[in-house]
Amino acid sequence: MVFIPSYVPAEFLSMYLPAIYGALIIGFIGSMAIALNRRDIHILILTDLIGLAMIIIVSAVGTDLAEALILPGLVVELAETLAISEILLSREMHKIEANPRANLTKSTSLFPQPFALDMEIMTTAPNFIALVLIAYGIFLTGFTGGAVAGGGIVLYALSKKARGLPVLILDGIAGVSGIAWCLWIIGFALFFVAPNLWILSLFLAACGLLLKVASKVGLIGLLMREDIDKE
Amino acid sequence: MDFVTLGGNLLGTIPLGDIVLYITPLSLFLFIVLLVFTLLIAISKTETQVEATLMKLSNTNVKVGKKEFKQRRFLSVICGIASAGAMITGDLFNFTLFMALIGILNIGIVSAVKQTTVLNSAYQYGLIAMMCSLPLFGGASIILASTGTLSLAVLSQMPATPMVVFGAVLMLLGILGESGVAPFFASKAEMFRTPGSPFIVIIHLSSLFIIVRAVEILLLVLW
Repeated sequence: MVFIPSYVPAEFLSMYLPAIYGALIIGFIGSMAIALNRRDIHILILTDLIGLAMIIIVSAVGTDLAEALILPGLVVELAETLAISEILLSREMHKIEANPRANLTKSTSLFPQPFALDMEIMTTAPNFIALVLIAYGIFLTGFTGGAVAGGGIVLYALSKKARGLPVLILDGIAGVSGIAWCLWIIGFALFFVAPNLWILSLFLAACGLLLKVASKVGLIGLLMREDIDKE
Repeated sequence: MDFVTLGGNLLGTIPLGDIVLYITPLSLFLFIVLLVFTLLIAISKTETQVEATLMKLSNTNVKVGKKEFKQRRFLSVICGIASAGAMITGDLFNFTLFMALIGILNIGIVSAVKQTTVLNSAYQYGLIAMMCSLPLFGGASIILASTGTLSLAVLSQMPATPMVVFGAVLMLLGILGESGVAPFFASKAEMFRTPGSPFIVIIHLSSLFIIVRAVEILLLVLW
């Protein structure tokens, strides 16, 4: 028997079927577009559209359990997109290796054009703002805190003009991210195995997620900085 | 249908909060076979293909480099563990997640090869796998929405409503695409034309096992 709390408005309940139909129609339109297209990269982007329809169909359920399904679904979608684009890249590279003259375009980056950020606020304010953001992020913990602290790191990285960060530091940040991921997994597993240790596992997961998200956002900022300061 | 009817006597359950793993002789057998195969893969070395050279008398060895070998072994072991997890899980959504994970790993195992044709077919297979994640996850979520649970032990006791049947059909479509069987096998068959045999075989083995398990799960949900 399906249990629906009485305080859920009837409008929300009636949204379920339209959402499912909408998602299926989006998926159908996406498949049609894939069938019509010829270029590989366009097909890859259109396939992501179908992935978004999957997110709609899962989120239409709208319960706590469904929310627990959306995150892995999103991660799986992202991982598949990454894997397929990696395949596409290495295939093109092998093609270019076999015939270097076939493709004469240069290497691309996030910002193909030279892009110099020359603003005064970027030299005076960022230290303090970044510090405040990171402190506030640590206070928040969890996903939100990670995003806030990562924003602070991005701001710092964007505003400081020192170029060419050593590889060791980049690797170190990636290592912190990995360890934080392990913390998160341990907290998650502990939650199931020993439910009475919930507060410990909650804090393990929250701090792990904080470090994880912050270091990820920081890495994006560092990579972007490499591109932005290009002359 | 009761899972005692399908898998034999219930040997025990492993409760992990909401998720309750149940062990029947069928699931235990599948689980152990996959773990043994994974162990075999972890300790084995890759093959070297010998190809005849065109217009010459000598043969050429097609070898796999050490880096590629390591990456492939790692991904194959993970793929074996994911398949083993899909065999023993007692939760509908965990099954779909393991399924999607196997799909990604299958692409990953062949991603480092040098043959352009293999990469091409891996790309096509990846597109199919990604498109089929819509019916796979959508079917699971429709079953969740119409029954309120994802536990197979509870689902097997429930009568199948039309919405559950619709969800199960969607899920079947998703499983067929993700594991690359019947209507979608054309690109997956081409992925094997590359050296590195014991690691490539896990692609086949995982989809074979997962189909057996998917049939059991769909019967549990529908009857």
